[in-house]
Amino acid sequence: MKKLEDKIIKKIYRIETKKTIGQIISEVFLIVLIVFSSMFIFSVIVEILNEQASFDLFDFLRDDFETIKYYFLNNSLLFIQELPLPLIYILIGLLLLLIWLVYLLIKNFNKIKNKLISIYKFWFK
Amino acid sequence: MAGISDKDIIRKIRDGEIDSYSHIVKKYTTSIYRYIKAKLFDKEEVDDLVQNVFISFYKAIEKFDVKRPVKPYLFQIVQNELKMYYRSKKPTVQLSEDIYLIHDRKIDIIDDSYLNYLSIDERKIFSHLKKGYSYKEISKLIKKPINTIKSIVRRGRLKLKKTI
Repeated sequence: MKKLEDKIIKKIYRIETKKTIGQIISEVFLIVLIVFSSMFIFSVIVEILNEQASFDLFDFLRDDFETIKYYFLNNSLLFIQELPLPLIYILIGLLLLLIWLVYLLIKNFNKIKNKLISIYKFWFK
Repeated sequence: MAGISDKDIIRKIRDGEIDSYSHIVKKYTTSIYRYIKAKLFDKEEVDDLVQNVFISFYKAIEKFDVKRPVKPYLFQIVQNELKMYYRSKKPTVQLSEDIYLIHDRKIDIIDDSYLNYLSIDERKIFSHLKKGYSYKEISKLIKKPINTIKSIVRRGRLKLKKTI
């Protein structure tokens, strides 16, 4: 009976090891992919805004407080109008996905940690 | 660990402490093994089934209602595994390549020698079917109700399956 029990436990560990490692790899890969995609999209947006000279709209920030107060709302609205909206939406979507994934990772952190400890103990000790 | 209830063990497993599952395995393997052993005689198959039961339970542990007792749930899995086992062991009829049965309303027998296994009535109906007559047409030809034709064909098919 002991032999059968060991066989069952070994099989469970094999399944769990595959599952946990697969889960970690896929989550990390997805997070890295989203981070790099977001960075790329962000750089494209900045590039577009630079080409359009949209950042010039904020030159008034170097002036005194009264000028800033006067131009802030108007120029901010103009700046928003000049933003490449489809890219902004994609960026927001990616960031939301990233937040969700990080939240899941934090939420399951203890569980994953315990699993990894158990797996390590079983296979290496 | 002896004093820990199944509920606590399952909570621990859900928290990622996989090693706690060994308590479940140790606690129930003997009873499950004996139960399956009483139904099957091949030791290897008994071992496989016991393994499958515990693997299925492990996979279902996230969905398992901790308020419910573990043992009946495990035995429910045992029942399902046994059902699947019996189903997989059910003998299947291998039809010879010479014969080709269509399971709706027509039957086509390529080699007529198979007709010898049938009764005169069945043979008559099968040869009409082979010619392409429908059940309705055959019932008119033989002057028998359509449902009788259908049952004769069914019986004939079963006979052929058993014989071939």
